[in-house]
Amino acid sequence: MSNQRENVVLKASELSKSFSVLGTSDLKVLDEVNLTLKQSSSLSIRGDSGCGKTTLLNLLARLEPADGGTIFWGDREIAAASQTHAMEASWRAKHIGVVYQSYYLIPELTVMENVLMSVRLSGLPITEYEGRAKELLEQMGVVNKSMQIPAKLSGGERQRVAIVRALVNRPQVILADEPTGNLDERTGAEVMDLLLSSCTKEKTSLILVTHNPTFARATNETSTLTDGKLIYE
Amino acid sequence: MKLTWPLFLAWKQLFPSQRKVSFFSLLAIVGVALGVNVMIVVVAFMQGFQQKFRSDIIDSQGHARAVPLQRKIAWRKDSQKIASLPEVAMVSTYVQGHLLVQNRDYHAVPFSMGINPSQPKGVLPINEFLKKGFVPVHGYDSKDITPVPTINSLEDDVVFITQQVANRLGVRAATVLILDDQNVTETDGKVQVVRLDPYVESEEWMIEFLAEDRYKIKNILGSIELNCSLDEPAADLGWGYPQFRVVPGDKPFSKGDRYRFQTFRSSILEIYSPTMIEQAKSDEMAPPREVRVGGIFEVPWQGFHTDALIGTHRFMEDMRGEENVCDGFFIKFQTNYLHDENKLGELCARLEGELEGNWRIIPWFVENAWFFDLLKFEEYLMVLIMIPIGLVAAFAIAIALMTTVLRKIREIGLLVAMGGTRFAVGMIFCMQGFIIGTLGALIGCGLALLFIRYRDSLMSFIVTKIAGEEGQAGVTQFYDFYSLEVPYPWESEQSMITFLTFIVFAVLVSTIAGLLPAWRAARMNPAEALRSE
Ligand SMILES: Nc1ncnc2c1ncn2[C@@H]1O[C@H](COP(=O)(O)OP(=O)(O)OP(=O)(O)O)[C@@H](O)[C@H]1O
Ligand SMILES: [Mg+2]
Repeated sequence: MSNQRENVVLKASELSKSFSVLGTSDLKVLDEVNLTLKQSSSLSIRGDSGCGKTTLLNLLARLEPADGGTIFWGDREIAAASQTHAMEASWRAKHIGVVYQSYYLIPELTVMENVLMSVRLSGLPITEYEGRAKELLEQMGVVNKSMQIPAKLSGGERQRVAIVRALVNRPQVILADEPTGNLDERTGAEVMDLLLSSCTKEKTSLILVTHNPTFARATNETSTLTDGKLIYE
Repeated sequence: MKLTWPLFLAWKQLFPSQRKVSFFSLLAIVGVALGVNVMIVVVAFMQGFQQKFRSDIIDSQGHARAVPLQRKIAWRKDSQKIASLPEVAMVSTYVQGHLLVQNRDYHAVPFSMGINPSQPKGVLPINEFLKKGFVPVHGYDSKDITPVPTINSLEDDVVFITQQVANRLGVRAATVLILDDQNVTETDGKVQVVRLDPYVESEEWMIEFLAEDRYKIKNILGSIELNCSLDEPAADLGWGYPQFRVVPGDKPFSKGDRYRFQTFRSSILEIYSPTMIEQAKSDEMAPPREVRVGGIFEVPWQGFHTDALIGTHRFMEDMRGEENVCDGFFIKFQTNYLHDENKLGELCARLEGELEGNWRIIPWFVENAWFFDLLKFEEYLMVLIMIPIGLVAAFAIAIALMTTVLRKIREIGLLVAMGGTRFAVGMIFCMQGFIIGTLGALIGCGLALLFIRYRDSLMSFIVTKIAGEEGQAGVTQFYDFYSLEVPYPWESEQSMITFLTFIVFAVLVSTIAGLLPAWRAARMNPAEALRSE
């Protein structure tokens, strides 16, 4: 049992969340969702637009409190309904990487500086990670852009940089919310390939929200979010 | 709490990579710099004026003045006692009062002061006053070469008066002009007048070369004719005659070179004293005292009497009809008492004790308190006006940073998602305010230093632009920009305090201006921030 538990990097049990919308009854987005993610495994979540996928990721990252349920970050147990504590931030910095549909690169920083932001945020020594950042950028094929500012990069290149940023400080989990949503099909496929292969190589767990069934099938487990329930396939 | 990354981001937002500087930060920093510069310069100049007036006052009347509290007093003994103290540099006794001065139909009643000319260096720098008051005569075909009178000409029958008194009475001191002469060949040599005492009569003088190195001094009346040689020191005709000096140049003089001079005797004043009026009542009408104008002086301190007369101690005693009088003495202390007013006040109180309460010793800043209170008030008023201007600048920074926060909502969400605390994210904006304030303050100080360094050229430029060449004379006469002492911060503690105050003010205000945007950013819900368009 304990052995098994050690392997779990992220777990949610009975996670519920509803939003109050003016003039209507509360909108129940998540209804007692259960989810377990083991080390170096990957899970894809599909679902209709507006079904609550992004909300689920936000709750898992503790960016907003849930209405009820429990979240486990490794063996750390957190009441999901509680307000986020400042102490959770440093854990999040070290152990969770995020990739979004919009790349959210900081426009004032170069590619390299953007990548190293996650190292800075986790309080790790920059110099020790510069080599690794370069290596990852190399793998992603954007190392020649490392001194550029994001405004001069294409969408696909930006997303690759965002993936490197998520990976560089060796997090346990990457939460990717439609990482290919803004990219054309071919570029999307390339980026997705790189994301999946890097996660496997780095032994990083991945939760991938995507609309694309092909990408969804590439993960270890697939699931669908419907009517507030997460159903594994 | 790790705050290096917010500092890094704050810096990068102001000075983005691959771009030198953002427009906003440039404007904000320049704004703060100009504000700091103006505030420092205004205050530094105000202090410079104060310093100037302070030194003018001290030059004009010493550090303190002792006033007797009793009529019969052993003033010689007491002044010597004070003079012998280690803290005291100089003591000058004086007699003062008002005298009626007449020249033909013109009258003046100047404030009159008798001093002791035998003291070579008294508290009052009379020679400086004479230099300041000296105005040469502008002749059409002649040039004024009168030497500036010195305290050496002060005798019992000679007085110095201010320009105002001289103008009112239409009098002047002895003057000598060199007349343009056709008989001078091209030579660099010249003839100077090194002494022109108050007893010189109006006459014409001539120096005529008999040979390259021999010349003759003679007057037109022919009563004096003197042969001199360039090898010997110039002949001194004695008191009552001008003393000439021939200065040879590179090219030699030649036979027939002739220099002509016109001397004008000093005016003679008739002086009546209050004592003489008393005598007149008892029908013992005494004739007025006749004295010569030995020089015209000007006291740099504007608060001094503009109608004033300086004579010898003896002269004033004579006018009073009393002997052995003293109305007080000026005291100058050793320089280390110059700057600290508290120390000076204590010292004065101690001296009063030493003199057994027979004298009251009034430090200069008490005697002129009205004036300094006025200056201080002006300085405070300036600061009071400038602080709201500083706050307006702070509002501008706050608004600009607030716009940045709103523009960067999604980045703020991302930074929290990447593991930044909300506090740290807020700090990014607060630190931007801090950086703007610090850089602005430093640049402002640099500008202020430049301004202080080049104040004379800047000031004369501004003044001539505003007041024109003529107006400039008036402005500079009062404020005397060219001799204004504006110390650098490493030269004076007061200046250092001014600089530091405004640096701290700017940094504080800009940082506080960043607090509101910081709070706005920290309050943001990261999930909603990430969703925002
Ligand atoms: N702060 C909020 N207040 C009210 N309603 C919200 C809020 N956030 C999300 N919602 C609602 O919750 C539902 C789920 O939103 P969410 O963004 O999780 O959907 P999603 O599955 O990610 O959709 P998509 O595939 O289009 O990205 C939506 O109907 C949305 O309107
Ligand atoms: Mg979504």
